[in-house]
Amino acid sequence: MSSSSLTCGKLASWTIAAVLLQILGLSLFVIGFFPVKPTLPGFSGPESYRAPTCDPVLDAEERDLPSEKLRTLYKELSKVPPSYGRLVLMVIDGLPAEFVLGRGDKPPTKAMMEAMPYTQSLLSSGKARGYYAKAAPPTVTMPRLKAMVSGAIGGFLDVAFNFNTQVLLDDNLLDQFKRIGWELVMHGDETWIKLFPRIFTRQDGVSSFYVKDTVEVDFNVSRHLDVELAAEDWNLLILHYLGLDHVGHIGGRHSTLMPAKLKEMDDVIKMIHMGSTVHHQNPDASTLLVVVSDHGMTNGGNHGGSSYEETDSLALFIGSGVESLEFSMNAHKAVHQVDIAPTLALLFGVPIPKNNIGVLLRGMFDTLTDEQRLRTLQLNSWQLLRLLQAHLPNFLCGDVTCISGEDNLQTDQSISSMKENLCYLYSRAISAHNAWLLHQISGLTSNDADDLGYAVNSYYDFLGNASEWLSHRATDKPINLLLSGIVIMLISCVLLLNTVFKLFKEVYITQGKYCSQPKEISQVWQVDEAFVLIGLVIHALSLGASSMVEEEQYTWHFLTSTLYLLFLLTTIRSLFKTAASDLMKMKKPEENLTLHLAVSNDESSYTTNNRSLPWTKLQKNHQIYPVLVVLIFGRILRGWHQGGINWVHLPDISKLLMQAGSFSIKALQIFSLLNFMLVGSFAFSLVRSTTHFVHIVRTSYFMSGCLVLLHIINSQTHNIGPTDSSATSVAQLFYICAGSAVLLTVLVSPWIYPVNHEASSNIGKFNLSSHAKDTSSIAESSTSSLTKEMISFYFQWGIGHCTYLIGTTCMVFWCLLQLLLQQPVNAIPLLVIFLQETASIIYFSSYGSLHKQWIEVVAMLFLGMAGHFGLGNSNSLATIDVAGAFIGISSHSTVLSGILMFIITHASPLLSFLSMLIYISLKDMNGLFPSNLRWSSILQLLIGFPCLLPLVLNSVVLVAFTITLLLMRNHLFVWSVFSPKYLYLCAATLCVYIGVLIIAATVVYTGVVLFVRTKNFNSKLQNFG
Amino acid sequence: MGYGEITASKALALHFLCGVGLAAGYGIARLGCDLSLVADPARTLRLLLVVEGPVIIGIYGWVRRDREHCSYSKAVARGLLGLPIGALLNAFGAIVLGAPVGLKYWLSTIYWSSLMSLFTFVPAVCVFGTSRTDWQRILAYSKPKEGVDCVISLPAQGAVIGAWLGAWPMPLDWERPWQEWPICVTYGAIAGYSVGMFASAVFVPVLGRKVHVKDD
Repeated sequence: MSSSSLTCGKLASWTIAAVLLQILGLSLFVIGFFPVKPTLPGFSGPESYRAPTCDPVLDAEERDLPSEKLRTLYKELSKVPPSYGRLVLMVIDGLPAEFVLGRGDKPPTKAMMEAMPYTQSLLSSGKARGYYAKAAPPTVTMPRLKAMVSGAIGGFLDVAFNFNTQVLLDDNLLDQFKRIGWELVMHGDETWIKLFPRIFTRQDGVSSFYVKDTVEVDFNVSRHLDVELAAEDWNLLILHYLGLDHVGHIGGRHSTLMPAKLKEMDDVIKMIHMGSTVHHQNPDASTLLVVVSDHGMTNGGNHGGSSYEETDSLALFIGSGVESLEFSMNAHKAVHQVDIAPTLALLFGVPIPKNNIGVLLRGMFDTLTDEQRLRTLQLNSWQLLRLLQAHLPNFLCGDVTCISGEDNLQTDQSISSMKENLCYLYSRAISAHNAWLLHQISGLTSNDADDLGYAVNSYYDFLGNASEWLSHRATDKPINLLLSGIVIMLISCVLLLNTVFKLFKEVYITQGKYCSQPKEISQVWQVDEAFVLIGLVIHALSLGASSMVEEEQYTWHFLTSTLYLLFLLTTIRSLFKTAASDLMKMKKPEENLTLHLAVSNDESSYTTNNRSLPWTKLQKNHQIYPVLVVLIFGRILRGWHQGGINWVHLPDISKLLMQAGSFSIKALQIFSLLNFMLVGSFAFSLVRSTTHFVHIVRTSYFMSGCLVLLHIINSQTHNIGPTDSSATSVAQLFYICAGSAVLLTVLVSPWIYPVNHEASSNIGKFNLSSHAKDTSSIAESSTSSLTKEMISFYFQWGIGHCTYLIGTTCMVFWCLLQLLLQQPVNAIPLLVIFLQETASIIYFSSYGSLHKQWIEVVAMLFLGMAGHFGLGNSNSLATIDVAGAFIGISSHSTVLSGILMFIITHASPLLSFLSMLIYISLKDMNGLFPSNLRWSSILQLLIGFPCLLPLVLNSVVLVAFTITLLLMRNHLFVWSVFSPKYLYLCAATLCVYIGVLIIAATVVYTGVVLFVRTKNFNSKLQNFG
Repeated sequence: MGYGEITASKALALHFLCGVGLAAGYGIARLGCDLSLVADPARTLRLLLVVEGPVIIGIYGWVRRDREHCSYSKAVARGLLGLPIGALLNAFGAIVLGAPVGLKYWLSTIYWSSLMSLFTFVPAVCVFGTSRTDWQRILAYSKPKEGVDCVISLPAQGAVIGAWLGAWPMPLDWERPWQEWPICVTYGAIAGYSVGMFASAVFVPVLGRKVHVKDD
């Protein structure tokens, strides 16, 4: 026994070393791959009208002026009067610029022209100015609105880590307008309300949830138009129309509904334009109508990616000052969506938002005087310079040695030459501006237009370069850091694989000598083993295809179902075999029974035996039912949430339930709660020792169940109040109740397991039974003291008992917690996953399992992953349930709601880890355990595979996907598909660590306590004897 | 030689005829009825079923076991009875693995699983009937030991594995019409079945020689 080359301690230390290496490698890679862009805090104020200095303290200034004063201050400082008094921002969700402006030199198609007669007439007569405002990916509404109003493109992690607060906290146009005392009104998509919860004087949010509705959603916006256009009180009116996006989602870009929808939009534009020109003739209150779209759409009507069709969004300016001399059909320009923000800011006389990377739109300031035009460009340059200084410390400070000429304009790859280049462009622009000013003052007007043109172009050179550099800042990645991270992760993966192979050899080859495995299990290569290996390779490879990442739920369901179909096949096979060899077996005397069997055959005399569970006596031909249960439930789970990205709109059970209304969902919630209570109390009733303690746990289980019931009923009736104090306190009570029950069970159960009573009362029976069976190993045992074998035996027994109790408690309380936190519609999937895990445990622990232990562990992990996607999760950050993360939290806390969010998202994998505890406790270790093992070896056999395999599987996927990500770093979908998946993978790694820690800590703790107690008892007994 | 042993030439002829049946079915669909799997999967599968069904039942009935107690017509009847049972099993497998259950797909699923039944279940039923030991052998031993086992199990395993692999392109966003259920799965199954038949045609002579050597 001690000749094992792999001791428990060695195993643990290798594993821990590998895990630490993995953490190191992962963090190196993450730091390298997701650089956090420095952003400037706070809001732009009067200081933005002064040239930036190198001392940041000087830039910070008191800005708490009353709005009126602030407005006049801005007016004075900027030297550019506001061109307009009122702004109508009309957002048409998903409108591609191609529909209005055509593509390239081609005008839009005839149908599109005819659908928007008024807009086209405005464009052709030069009364409107259209731009292709290229949107940055991800082309979904919220980040695009943020880009439009703040001029900033968030880094990937900004987007990722902002789900707990959707409120836009950065500097933005709307807050700037509010500061100068504007009244803001919003009608349309409720995303605006999420972004700016308390800013609007009047608001009417419509939900984009009912994608099928293309009429009502826009009518709900337009019905306010008459009133709002007549009203004088607002300065900014935002109208956000969702209908066109819905049309696209239903019928694609060329839907038959599209022309009618465009006509409707055209009518709105006409109405606003007419209304605003009629009412306000004085320039102070003149109105600018800005028609923008947040993103385009693909031919299929989807969006989110970065193809031309999706990023092709529109910016259309209609107002009195826009009329240009040049014929406007040629004036369409390809610009960036972020350019809208600085343009609007300077048109309306507010400072440009601090983190803006946009450049003033050419042509929008043509009505200003030359001096004012240059001034606007200067303001934009100063703002960008401030932002540059945040990225490049000491940029343009002190050393003015950067005027190095044009030769390094092209060779601007490294940061230092980029810095010099920007520095040069800035200085050139400033000097050209100064030269022009000088000429103006001195009255030399000979080459005025040339000077002006040179200054303007110099400014745009600087602005364009700076803006581009800033927007690409996120994409340069230190390749050395990435590679070293990958190498370290690879080493860790190899270490883990090596450890698991050693353990494998240990268990199946070395131990094979003295254990009586059924022949078919010790067979070298089984179909399910081959399949698991192939399946894992296929899964790792499939992560290289973006759509397989998007639709990973299919992969997991497919692999899991196939594995269980193979189990089904094995079971059927063994059925045929048993039926054939039944007669033979009947005659054979039971010779080679181990110690274990000898006792468990005698189990009728054991009242305290928790292993005498009903299913250990499961008939061989009933073994097929758990597998069928897993398969059928798995299919239900697959149908519950369609999931993924591309086919998410297809009907599924959860959508049906949503339509059916809250009553049926509530009924299902209560149904699954009752089921949890029933199964849970049944599981508790199987524990037959330490009954008093189990009563306590069961009572608290019922109490927790009642609390959850209360929560379900409450949350359904008061749907409006999310911060209902009574609901919060119910949830908090539940946390306390469940937490203390679980903690108590984990800590106390190994101490109160009746080792003395158990052992002493069973010595007699034990020996009796062993003598009756006349097994050779028992014959050696003396009746006066416990033999080593018996200690080992009771030790295993105790571990099994305690682990079962702890595992059951954790699992049922975990399910209750999930019932509380998850979306109501997920109640049945939770139950289904729970039953799947239970059925698997029953199948694996029933008499004579047909599979190797590692396959069983892998199967449970597969179930966990399939369940993860079955609960509606996907590899897109959009499916993270943010609402649930605030249940039971009275004050805003990022850490707490982050933990809750993690618990909700990884409900199913963690459940599979918890059920692994029960699996460990029930697994009939007959074949594996020689009775004379040391306790540490027993521990190793118990938790070796359940702890190592998750780590190994996760490590392999992590390494494979990290390499994929590195190779795909220039892929079109790297930010929209691969990076979110990587974040999920990091979270999954954390989840594996937690799960493995729970298993290892529980079993080791129980083992140590029991070992000490049996040893004490034994020495007492020997002293006594 | 044991009872019901199959000769290499017989196996080759059998597979050749099955292959020809399949090809004929596809040819008729393509040329005769102007049907294609992509455009109209249900009707094409039905045509394949109608053409290939008699071929397979007829041919495998011809190599049936236990000839004394089982007439040719009985074997054919067994095959006909086995067709819906096998279809049920295959449909169960497919649906559990994620095949859509909407009304739109019912017909396709029925025809597809019947075709799969022809590839997998029906030959075994035709040959073995209800002989328990034979079934046990064919299920339990992954390595075929006799020619008949080879002829039955290799194409069947090929068809199942091919269909399984054929499902993998379905979630990809290529937006091709053949990614629909059950088109690419059918392609996979037919490809796998052909590979299995080929392997079987190669293996049977090898096995036969081995048995021959042993007999000597």
